[in-house]
Amino acid sequence: MLYDLSLVKTHVRETVPISDFKLSRRGLLTSSAFLALATATAVGPTGAWAASGVSAEQRLTLIRMARDIYPHDDFLPEGPYVKVVDDVLKEAQSNDETRKLVLDGVTDLEARAQKIYGQNYVAVSDPNKREGLLRSIELGAFFQKFKGGLLFGLYNNKELWPKFGYDGSSWEDGGFVDNFDKIDWL
Amino acid sequence: MAAKFDLNDDSVVVIIGSGAGGGTMAHELAQKGVKSVVLEAGKKLTLDDIDNDEWGMFLKISWLDKRHSAGGWHGAVNHPTLPAWIVKGLGGSTVHWAGVSIRYQEHEFKMKTKTGGVSGANILDWPITLDELKPWYDKAELKMGTTGDVTGMPHLPWSADFKVLAEGARRIGYSDITAGPMSINSEARDGRPACQQIGFCMQGCKIGAKWSTLYSELPRAEETGNCEIRTNCMVLRVEHDKSGKVTGVVYADKDGKQQRQKARVVCVAGNSIESPRLLLNSESSMFPDGLANSSGQVGRNYMTHMTGGVYATMPGPVHMNRGTAVAGIVRDEARYDDSRGFVGGYTLEKLALGIGFLSAFLVPGPTGWGRDVSEAMENYKYMSGVWICGEDLAQEQNRITLHDTEKDQYGLAVPVVHKTDHPNDTNMRNHAYAQMEKIYSTLGAKKIYNLPAYPASHNMGTNRMSAKPEDGVVNKWGQSHDIKNLFVSDGSQFTTSASPNPTLTIVALAIRQADYLATQLKKGAL
Repeated sequence: MLYDLSLVKTHVRETVPISDFKLSRRGLLTSSAFLALATATAVGPTGAWAASGVSAEQRLTLIRMARDIYPHDDFLPEGPYVKVVDDVLKEAQSNDETRKLVLDGVTDLEARAQKIYGQNYVAVSDPNKREGLLRSIELGAFFQKFKGGLLFGLYNNKELWPKFGYDGSSWEDGGFVDNFDKIDWL
Repeated sequence: MAAKFDLNDDSVVVIIGSGAGGGTMAHELAQKGVKSVVLEAGKKLTLDDIDNDEWGMFLKISWLDKRHSAGGWHGAVNHPTLPAWIVKGLGGSTVHWAGVSIRYQEHEFKMKTKTGGVSGANILDWPITLDELKPWYDKAELKMGTTGDVTGMPHLPWSADFKVLAEGARRIGYSDITAGPMSINSEARDGRPACQQIGFCMQGCKIGAKWSTLYSELPRAEETGNCEIRTNCMVLRVEHDKSGKVTGVVYADKDGKQQRQKARVVCVAGNSIESPRLLLNSESSMFPDGLANSSGQVGRNYMTHMTGGVYATMPGPVHMNRGTAVAGIVRDEARYDDSRGFVGGYTLEKLALGIGFLSAFLVPGPTGWGRDVSEAMENYKYMSGVWICGEDLAQEQNRITLHDTEKDQYGLAVPVVHKTDHPNDTNMRNHAYAQMEKIYSTLGAKKIYNLPAYPASHNMGTNRMSAKPEDGVVNKWGQSHDIKNLFVSDGSQFTTSASPNPTLTIVALAIRQADYLATQLKKGAL
């Protein structure tokens, strides 16, 4: 869905101050482990994104950002996130508007990380601090471009549905008439 | 055999829209030998077009022409171009509806009298009563195959997901807990099969177990030889003569070419945004404020129901996607009891969402991301949820207006949909959230999520019925107070939203209106 962000100025949802974000109950990848992982993905063919004008380092920032938008830690592999990012970068190769959006956006995000934490975005190890950085840009078109891509790339992705316990289309198999009423814990 | 009528045939009834109102009118009139032309803005759909795919079907069947959300509701920010979630296609929103078929309660027809009026609201009593509508409700249930006493068809069996809601509801003392009435076949009936618990009811029923005009009323209307259906035909304006009677409509056909269909009677049934929009866009020197608008009420009193959602992570697997989208209803709070801090009542309708929709609507809009959302998705199979559907009070400033400058692909002024909660809505929603928290907590829910309203699928009230011409747009038959051969045949004629889902009442009113219209035609009164 497309959002007209000019209307967002009246948005009233409260955002939690950065210091108040609770630590996740789930174990988080440390930023060094993430870097190793993401670097490994960058070893593959680079043609899909290289011509977008985005550097390898910036691409890693975008992948880290993608994982922070809908964090699934060890629940999901990096592949689906990388695909969403690379699809945007692919679009940026031929679309000047997208290229500018991505380059300006990632530069701005890095500047914010440097200004507040004196580090690159990926080097900020506390996921709540990274979320705080993203909350400060969440209403912009750059962030929304990736958020929208991820919503579809992660949750409207048939390949990932079994992982989430969602069955998808059922009519071909005659529906759930044999098991729709089964529940064993109630 | 489908009929074919000449554009200059001024003996036909033109019906604008093919959903619950228009599709029912077409079939009812056809059975009485009254000839009609149905003009449907959307494309022809068949069961082959229907997939079990939430976003795929959303893009295929939704009304996505340019619209603006306005007013104080969150959708003005989070759904700025999608105020309503309805269908542009043959069968209209009966393709998308979930099948819930509850009758109005007696007091819901006379909320002005019952409440004595509510400050800030523009409440009015209907010019009809439950007693008057009862026989038409019976006919509607027989037509639609509504489970329950009238058809004798049992309610659908309880899904795992409904058992969860029902058990929680029972534990907090509720007792009005049923898996119906639903217009979904629990047995093969009327040429349609029994429900196979496929899910995806709101993406269109793949096997036609759920009633829809798409495969029941419309083809049957055509078979009589008294009805012609033209798809991809968007009506641009309704025309009238010097005496003020309507004479026909101008529409854009599938090639974008303008056509003029003459008519003896025009029935407007384009749902509660398009119907008033068409009347407003049909302004003339004789009717400078739009057709049928001497009261100034066309487009006003827009009601969507007070709605919201509550989803929760249960201690064990639920698999809410397995089975009908709405598998049951809890109606204990549907009663009138203003000691709760609000007038009117609400129902709790179990509603399954797939992961595609749940991820987008759990926290809707640009701020809907982060661990809250992703954690909920990881627990998808443990989730259960309800949709809250309660009475929405008419307010004059909740309305459809025409954009000053922006035009759509047909060159028509784009509709702006204004909606702001009344304090009554807020109190009722908060009450429902609190009750749902009790229900899910008693089951040991690990996390509970309150969702704001979705883009509205229940749209009502913008051409409302009134006893007096100065209070509303149509009389007790849905006939314009100002123009006697102009009718409104959809939910826009609702005087109050009440708490029930609107389709059953739209169909009952349409059957009744068709009977009146045919009688008036026979008498030569139109």
